[in-house]
Amino acid sequence: MPVTEAGDDGKHLLTGATGFLGSHIMAGLLSKGRGVVIAGRAAGSESLQERIRKLLNWFGMEHLEGLLEFHETDFLKIRLGLGKDEYESLCGRGLSIIHCASDTSFAEKNRTRVMRSNVENLNEVLNFACASRTRCFHLISSAYAAGIDRLECPEVPVNSKHFNNVYEESKAQAEDIVSAKCRKEQIPHTIIRPSIVYGDSLTGRSLRFNALYFPVRSMQQIRDIYFDEIKNNHGIKSAECGIHIKDDGALHLPMRIFIPKQGKINLIPVNYFTKIILSILETPVNEAIYHITSNHPQSMARLASYTERFLKISGIEVVVGTAAAAEMRNPPEELFDHFIKAYRPYISDQRIFKRENTDRATGGVLPPDFSYEIFERCMAFAVSADWGKKLFQ
Amino acid sequence: MNDVLQTAKNCRHYAMCKIDFLGSGLCAPGAEKHYVCFYPQGRMDLYAALAEGRIPVTEKCVEIAESCDLCGKCDYQCYFVTEMKPSAVMKALKEHIALHLNSGGEVLASEKDSILDGLKKIVGEYWATNDRAVALTYAHDPCPMAEPRPPEYVIMPESTAEISAVITLLNRHKIPYAVRGNGSSVMGFVMSEGAVIDLGRMKAIDFDEKNWLVKVGPGVAAFDLQKAAVQRGFRVNVAEPAALVCANIMCSGIFSTFSASYGTAADNYIDAEFVGLDGGVFRLSDRSAPNLFALSKEAAGIPGICSAAYIRLHPIGADEGAAFVPFASLEQALDFTRECARRRIGLAIAVLGGEYISVFLSPTKELAAEVKDTFRDKLKIEYLVLVIGDQYALAAIKAMGHHYFDNRMIRTLNLGLPSLTSAKWLDLLEEFADGEPYSYIGLKRFPDLAEAALAPSPAQLVRDVDPELRPFFEKLYSRPEMTDPVWLNMFRIVSSRMGREKHVVPLIVYLPIDNKLIIEINSEFKRIADSHGLKNDFGFITPLDDGKRCVFEYDYYLDQNDADEKVKMRQAMMEAGMMIERFSAETGTVTWIKHVFAQGFSRKESFLYSAAGNEPCP
Repeated sequence: MPVTEAGDDGKHLLTGATGFLGSHIMAGLLSKGRGVVIAGRAAGSESLQERIRKLLNWFGMEHLEGLLEFHETDFLKIRLGLGKDEYESLCGRGLSIIHCASDTSFAEKNRTRVMRSNVENLNEVLNFACASRTRCFHLISSAYAAGIDRLECPEVPVNSKHFNNVYEESKAQAEDIVSAKCRKEQIPHTIIRPSIVYGDSLTGRSLRFNALYFPVRSMQQIRDIYFDEIKNNHGIKSAECGIHIKDDGALHLPMRIFIPKQGKINLIPVNYFTKIILSILETPVNEAIYHITSNHPQSMARLASYTERFLKISGIEVVVGTAAAAEMRNPPEELFDHFIKAYRPYISDQRIFKRENTDRATGGVLPPDFSYEIFERCMAFAVSADWGKKLFQ
Repeated sequence: MNDVLQTAKNCRHYAMCKIDFLGSGLCAPGAEKHYVCFYPQGRMDLYAALAEGRIPVTEKCVEIAESCDLCGKCDYQCYFVTEMKPSAVMKALKEHIALHLNSGGEVLASEKDSILDGLKKIVGEYWATNDRAVALTYAHDPCPMAEPRPPEYVIMPESTAEISAVITLLNRHKIPYAVRGNGSSVMGFVMSEGAVIDLGRMKAIDFDEKNWLVKVGPGVAAFDLQKAAVQRGFRVNVAEPAALVCANIMCSGIFSTFSASYGTAADNYIDAEFVGLDGGVFRLSDRSAPNLFALSKEAAGIPGICSAAYIRLHPIGADEGAAFVPFASLEQALDFTRECARRRIGLAIAVLGGEYISVFLSPTKELAAEVKDTFRDKLKIEYLVLVIGDQYALAAIKAMGHHYFDNRMIRTLNLGLPSLTSAKWLDLLEEFADGEPYSYIGLKRFPDLAEAALAPSPAQLVRDVDPELRPFFEKLYSRPEMTDPVWLNMFRIVSSRMGREKHVVPLIVYLPIDNKLIIEINSEFKRIADSHGLKNDFGFITPLDDGKRCVFEYDYYLDQNDADEKVKMRQAMMEAGMMIERFSAETGTVTWIKHVFAQGFSRKESFLYSAAGNEPCP
């Protein structure tokens, strides 16, 4: 059943606005002239408002700061850590809630932290949703919450027992909790599941440089190490690995990338993500699950060839199967393999994400094909931003 | 103050110019004439005093100045430690004396003195003096608590019998005295307005391999003893390289990273020979000898003069290596340290902070500062736990799930330090770790990649060293032992660098490896120093007695020529002392090293465990 999205002047309360996806949701809403109530944390000496202001400048939206309202919250504390008056005042406004705050670590060692951020934090946010009788609660989840029990993943509640990592597991648990609580309290809700999001396909701009960017950045650093070794230190170590500079100036870097199975990587650009989510927010359907995914995921071989072209290197080979014994691998191969370990499930993914609900909500708007031009645009921006270090300079 | 005088006044008195720790040769006049004034350290003091008009030109001044041939060896040694070049001071001293003589200046002769005549009869004409220039070089050290006290006499006996006779004579004339090794404790302990007995001539080293011991004269430095032991395939547990072994035991007992397995205090020797305060000679193994194994809780004076120590020898394994295990917190480092000690994994163990690691590895102050930042900010390494052990110990560390920098990686890091500080790829190591910090160290081919990336070489490491000295240092760092962590821990030649930027004042306590307690005391040390605006940092922690206890050093630093900073340091040391005493009273398990002073021959149990000696006999 469609939900009416018209709270306090159509405002949403947004968590995770300082993150990659959250900030784009915020910018998307602002671009439509919609006010946003930001609930989040300060970071060190930087207040929440200062953090957001930095992002607004990045988006070129500093003139729209007036549409924002800030509440420094702590989701582990009662009443979100807000004072009684502030909390009650917020409750009385019937805001829609977009819960985007999330910890994206895949590491098992970080299980406690990830579960606290992605699952435990939900309690107080859901309490607020109930207390405020929110118009609609939107959970930004992940396509990968589907788990690994089946390859075909429809837009239905998760029915998996097995996951690639704690992140996926936490997202699946969060979905369960939100669905159960909202259903019990009769709160309209949706679950939105994007796949891997990269920068803006039109401008190349991005605020985060993980996922797609990690392997390219790793390769760039490995390339630079050997370039430098050949140019300044006689290239003995490079020669041991068969690495040399070719006549055209490109670096021949023989390296195998091992992927466990013949699969693909499901990528969508952030501008597409924003566009789709704004459509969903316009006419959300209660209890609907939306996959913001690509129907044409990329092969690792294609990404490797893009990377070779972009970095002016050659010699990369994608191998399906188990990595050889460490002794058989050359140093860059082993290091690269180590770097992408956490992402391995996503670069050889065989899951197919169905997206009927999304197509229905958006009129079937699909993400652009991930061409070399888009790749180059995004990576050029990443390099110019020094992979995030010069982002706000 | 001009640069030369500045250099002269900044001598740290670590006595590193009295040992040939770089293999570049020893200052020839010093080796021949033994008095500290003939070494660069003494000449620095002497020049500063002459330049500031604090002493007249004496006969010894002339001899000291003229004996220096400006060979420049002191530059190699001092630059290695402090980045100073003392040869400019040596030259200025010669010029000062020459100018004085050429202008017909007076040269003060030694005063006639019947006591001095008596001392000379015992030790020989040359080896006792009351020359003011000599006395000046025995008058002070950089300790902020000690005021200069020039002695009336400086005496250099050559045998136990001579020490005995000297003591008898001094006692007869009621002349107070201090006994001095190399004075490298720099805590103001070795000064006296009466006499200073310098034992630097008694350098005998006699091995008794059958009994796994070496008899060591009181003038033998740790470095020289270790060198002699290693040549015979043994290792000794010694401390700072310039510290004289007997004096070191006497002062506080010897502790080093190897104390994790070799122990400390009485664990290090088998017997010792003393000249008692009455001039009589005894051995500790004599049934009638004073009981130096027990610790007096009251302030204790020296029990006599140690004239020889029979030091334990330890075997060296052919498969020994080092593991530097990185940690992001002191708590994690302590957990691992305790685990290793309790399981008896490793021969040497120490928790080292970023200050030590960076300063020890870097040939210059500037590089050390950059390296410290790199370790902390890019590699996210706050502490490294050093473990030296055989192949089985090192395998055990891996089996415990820890990644570590081994000998090869340490050599690569050391010789590639300048590249490390500017390496962009370091960011990836941390960013991609995602919950598995330092896992890259465990990659089999990572050492190859690091070698490609860091281009380690002696030339690279010394690229910012003073150009005049660079060829020497490049050659020096091409020697394998200079980047071998096992060798460096045995000979400890880089630890003197902790006083490179400023003079270091160590604060040392014995206590249990109790994380909460150590972290609390560590914070208090820091708080106190910070409140006085003093540079300070964590030093090291080494487990003792299977990890039931440890020795913990925290360091305060001061500009030894800054009167204001000296006042602050005195205040900070007093507050730190009160803090330690408070913890000691509250826990019953914390012992300040101050209470072990002059009782280093005691059993370690007497100061590690408060119950020892406190229970009355039934």
